[in-house]
Amino acid sequence: MTNLAKPATHVNGELILLWAMPVIWIFWLGSFLAFPGFVTPMSPKLSAQEVAAFYFDPANLPRIRYSMIVFNWFGVALIPFLAMIAMQVQRMAHRTPILTYCFIGCIAGGPTLFCIADLFWLIAAFRPERDPALVQLFNDMAWVTFTSQVAFLIAQNVFLAVAIHLDRQPRPIFPTWVAHFNLATAPAMAPAAFAAIHFDGPIAWDGALSFGLKNGAIALWIVVMTLVTGQAVYRQRHEQGAAA
Amino acid sequence: MTVAALAQETAPQPPASSLGKLAWQWRHNPKLELWLSWYTILVFYNVFGIVFFGITRTQPPPKAWWDLPKIVWWFHDKGWGLLVGFGIIFVMGAFATASTALITYSIRRMSVSPAFAWSYLILYSLAAVPGMLLTCIALVTGAMRPDRDPRLMGLLYDMGFLSFSGTMGIFLIGSVVWGVAILLDENAILPKWFGYFNICNALTEVVVATCCVLKSGPFAWDGVIAFYINMVVFGIYTGLFITYLRKMIEREDMDSPQVRGIR
Repeated sequence: MTNLAKPATHVNGELILLWAMPVIWIFWLGSFLAFPGFVTPMSPKLSAQEVAAFYFDPANLPRIRYSMIVFNWFGVALIPFLAMIAMQVQRMAHRTPILTYCFIGCIAGGPTLFCIADLFWLIAAFRPERDPALVQLFNDMAWVTFTSQVAFLIAQNVFLAVAIHLDRQPRPIFPTWVAHFNLATAPAMAPAAFAAIHFDGPIAWDGALSFGLKNGAIALWIVVMTLVTGQAVYRQRHEQGAAA
Repeated sequence: MTVAALAQETAPQPPASSLGKLAWQWRHNPKLELWLSWYTILVFYNVFGIVFFGITRTQPPPKAWWDLPKIVWWFHDKGWGLLVGFGIIFVMGAFATASTALITYSIRRMSVSPAFAWSYLILYSLAAVPGMLLTCIALVTGAMRPDRDPRLMGLLYDMGFLSFSGTMGIFLIGSVVWGVAILLDENAILPKWFGYFNICNALTEVVVATCCVLKSGPFAWDGVIAFYINMVVFGIYTGLFITYLRKMIEREDMDSPQVRGIR
């Protein structure tokens, strides 16, 4: 993992990735609000006919398609940001690069699964004449994939927390509270993994735990990690500038 | 602080109590990162086995030749186990990355191009999505609405078991990459015969291809060849690599230039 690029170039490039984040947030937030199935989360209790009616309601259909197209474009924009965090993990005072590898191994999984859910939603919305049972099938697969696929997010948070704890140097890359924060957000996403068990209550995919807590934790994690990663990148830039 | 400076830290004697020993290991064991990965692998494969063989009873797999009423019955019978068991996988399935990371490390320690290590890391980071999670998503989608049209239940059943057995290339190429790295390596990180065993594991992914065509007999996804022989080879392979990674960690000299060199 060493000597991939000259330090100055690499840090300058990271600033572009960093400052892209607030712009990407706007696309994410805009798509989230535009998708009618998120503003008031779709209930898993809807019958196949009700699901098809929801998709092919003229007020909903364009919003479903356009929001999912924008999500398709920008959902994976999380990956460059996660790669930036991996670069900071690589700078930590570890004895081996194992935790960097663990973190890199988690980077692609979450956004890829989100992209698959996005495709399921787009497929469900593609042909109004399709049998409602098939529309419901793809809607179910989209919601199960979107809601319950937290494995990579949980593992990446835990690996990052361990990496921060083992970053034993006088001035660590991230402060210790960031490790605690990552350990706290990991279990907040866990109930969503069981979303398909119930159609009612907090565990259901439209429930307080599986929808509210999980997505809230992800949003908070992205904001907090952008801020602390930004601090680390600027500090790195300052230190390298001073050393030059 | 540099890694060299870290290595020069003088560790105190470990205390007598068990908790104290654990705390000492956390604070002072120079191989902590490697051991954490290794124990994570151990926990992951145990949970994986309990979920797939015990809670969901999806392994050994049900028959590929079953008709729709039998498939619907299977979803009814296994429903709760599928929803809870695969929920557990959705929580902790990505800790398998620890295995990928430790094997990537083993390849970085070898006298081969880092391209082998990066290939392995990327291939196996990708593997869980089609090879495990897609299976779980399909079967959970079936189990959550067992009253769905039986033809769609049949589709989810096939999607579940074919994505599990039919995700071949990642494991084929991944095993070959690791195997070739072991065979080329001059640092004796892992035994040469285990390099050949990697090739053997890769060949099982060739044999299993028949499950995409045949619905009954030894070559179906539940058959003697496509499932049982494959599972035996995979079981031995997994046991061996966990053992040999442990031996590798035990042998590692954390102060050696070779280990420091891959930081």
